[in-house]
Amino acid sequence: MTKPKIATDWLAGCSGCHMSLLDIDERIVQLAELADIRATPVTDLKEPDESGVDVGILEGAVNLTTNEEVAHRMRRRCKILVALGDCAVFGGVLTMRNFHKLEDALRRAYVEAESVDGDGKIPSSPELGRPTRVRALDEVVDVDVYIPGCPPDPDVIFYALSELLQGRIPELKDEKLHWH
Amino acid sequence: MVSLTIDGRQLEVPEGITVLEAAKLAGIEIPTLCYHPRLTPYGGCRLCVVEVERMRTLQPSCTLPVSNGMVVYTNTPKVREARKFILTLLFSERNHYCMYCQMSGGDCELQNAAYGEGMTHWPLPPNWNPYPIDASHKYFVLDHNRCIICRRCVRACGELVGNFTLGVRERGADVMIMADLDVPLGESTCISCGTCVQVCPTGALIDRMSAYRGREKDVQRIKSTCVGCSVGCGIELIVRDNHLLRIEGDWDAPVNGGLLCELGRFRPLYEDRERIVTPLVRMNGRLKAATWEEALHRIAAQLKPLVGRNGDGIAALASTRLPAEALYLFKQLFAEKLGSEMVTSIEEGLPTAVPGAIAQAAGRPLEGGLEALQSTDCVVVIGADLTENHQVAGFFVKRALPNGIRLIVIDPHENGLQRLAHYALRPKKGTDLELLLGILAGVIRLGLAKGEVSSAYDLDRHTPEAASQITGVPIDQILAVSQTIATAQKPVFVYGKGIIGDGSPQALKALLELARLVGALDEERSTVVSTKGQANSLAAYLYGLDRTFEVNGHQAVYLALGDDTPSQRLIQRLQGAPFIAVQASYVSPVTAMADVVLPVTTWVEQEGHYLNLDGRLQKARRGLQPPAEVRSNVEVLEAIAANLEMTLNCSWKEALRARVPIVAIRE
Repeated sequence: MTKPKIATDWLAGCSGCHMSLLDIDERIVQLAELADIRATPVTDLKEPDESGVDVGILEGAVNLTTNEEVAHRMRRRCKILVALGDCAVFGGVLTMRNFHKLEDALRRAYVEAESVDGDGKIPSSPELGRPTRVRALDEVVDVDVYIPGCPPDPDVIFYALSELLQGRIPELKDEKLHWH
Repeated sequence: MVSLTIDGRQLEVPEGITVLEAAKLAGIEIPTLCYHPRLTPYGGCRLCVVEVERMRTLQPSCTLPVSNGMVVYTNTPKVREARKFILTLLFSERNHYCMYCQMSGGDCELQNAAYGEGMTHWPLPPNWNPYPIDASHKYFVLDHNRCIICRRCVRACGELVGNFTLGVRERGADVMIMADLDVPLGESTCISCGTCVQVCPTGALIDRMSAYRGREKDVQRIKSTCVGCSVGCGIELIVRDNHLLRIEGDWDAPVNGGLLCELGRFRPLYEDRERIVTPLVRMNGRLKAATWEEALHRIAAQLKPLVGRNGDGIAALASTRLPAEALYLFKQLFAEKLGSEMVTSIEEGLPTAVPGAIAQAAGRPLEGGLEALQSTDCVVVIGADLTENHQVAGFFVKRALPNGIRLIVIDPHENGLQRLAHYALRPKKGTDLELLLGILAGVIRLGLAKGEVSSAYDLDRHTPEAASQITGVPIDQILAVSQTIATAQKPVFVYGKGIIGDGSPQALKALLELARLVGALDEERSTVVSTKGQANSLAAYLYGLDRTFEVNGHQAVYLALGDDTPSQRLIQRLQGAPFIAVQASYVSPVTAMADVVLPVTTWVEQEGHYLNLDGRLQKARRGLQPPAEVRSNVEVLEAIAANLEMTLNCSWKEALRARVPIVAIRE
């Protein structure tokens, strides 16, 4: 029997959830025994296999049109989609921006900020995509499993992944369930 | 008793309780949000719904009374689904993003309820309409975005405090908590008691001082007693790493049942007086830092030659904010060991000497407890402004008003309770006695007196008409008050310094006579209460620290000020004293005048007992460690005695029995 395939990617996040995933330490070996770890932002292969993976994991909120593309691509290519961390689950700390006009937020960040040298300019390359209202992942694509936390505890991540890789849907409750 | 079944368990519970309370008695947990054990159930959030056999819909258990044969299920799939749905709607209504809320991480009841239901996410996206934040209040912030409209704050403000500042406006999703007729909190009739903050289940009402400084799991809670005044409210000190973050009312405290006023809850956190952290000794006209040995030696050298000198020896004065232990040592050291005749307290017995003398003469306590205010139908407040001082006692009066009690306020001055009173009598200054005699004569004339009036009163002379003439209070008001008091079932009299401050016992005697004639005072029980003054006024009286303070040729003055603030009067009286030693926590004009200053602990850094206004002997516990060179008030007095080669006993508790108490002591 072939091992289940697993791929991760990130959207608008701080990469802290991937750090927390790496924080499972030597248990990564156990995961590697259970699963075929495919594309991740921290390994060479960047995009999930076109042929599809079993478990797709996304960190970060949807903040740009490019995030939307990444989210849709992962959704198309995976059987079970996991929202990892508060940004993916709820929108996260980025949602503070939703209380302001997008133009105001961009001007503040790129033109008015104290750290800006000379005349600030709002970046506008098509490669970056267009900024949008900040959304949780499930406002853009269907999500199967939610692992909240900022970042989620490594033990919780390990528990959830090992359940998924053994064909069960993890149930997060009691001490395993923490947001913020 | 009522018998019902909850989750298959047969229960016998008292009649009249709710299903929620019955479940609690049986140890069955039902999640709640708008429910608070000290507030009237409201049924607003619906989180506590349960399934009841033969009832068509789910029922909120917090408002559902138990009835015989009821069969209740608290944890069926239908109930759990409803809870999750209710929480989903709550989360979707406003901004409940936990990651930038100070309550997140165990302190938020909304978040904890979601954890309880295993919610890993919000099935509905949130509402992105920003709601306003009212940051106009000095002590706390109202963030409408975090509000779930449970109305706990509204109910606490009205039901517990009787202030009715908070209310709600609009309907449906537009419902908003508002102050008065929708003004910013900081400009409202809010009296800053902070009870709303203490009951808020989410981060909607957050305390400015303690916000983001530690969650419940990071802090220590220490039960103690407030020393802000003589009410003696039970408090909890919320402490982290030797910082006092917050003070909360102790819900289990017998005196205040969780309530506090601004003075107890917020003021101590905003203490800005300069602390004294080392002993100071005057050298060449200037106060210089010194060692404890130098300072104590200097005091001993000054006091030793004055031992036993009557009239021109030592004058000693203690704050009534000191614990009983310190007051007793103070009295023992200066009055008994050093033989000074001028040993008294800062309050000079003003709130206690007159009732004390009457109690002494009667041979029994005169007064009753504050609990009388919980079941009264008529309150007479005289010579005290309960909206300024002893505020929690004032809350008990204010919150009883909607129950239909009659409130009579007698005060020549402006008084915060006057606008709430049914009768606000403002006699001319100095005519309290005549007014009371007029009311008393009115009771007799109306034929409502329970018993004979004392022969000490000549009722031919003291008529309501005469009283009206002298006091300027209209005759119809005097008679109406007579009738109101005399026809009440359980009248309560609360008096303050206003009627005894001049040292004359006549007005208080007339008040007691009036109380006796309307059945509020007999051998068994009394519903007359006086406000006393500071935290240990009553203990100071029982130790005999109640005479008028005068520096009259005294060679030395010793002032045990503790963390108290000296009055202008005291500062003036100390002018020209040849030698002044002060034990104090903070820099003040008297420490600037002193020859020796000994640094002592503040109320929150020391342990000790306080005797509150209705005779409860309560312990104040230590919440913080003092600075290194600072000693407790007790240690300082012991050290002075040791330097004079004297030993003090510590039978402070027994010594409280030396005089007849104004109110029976309860331990």
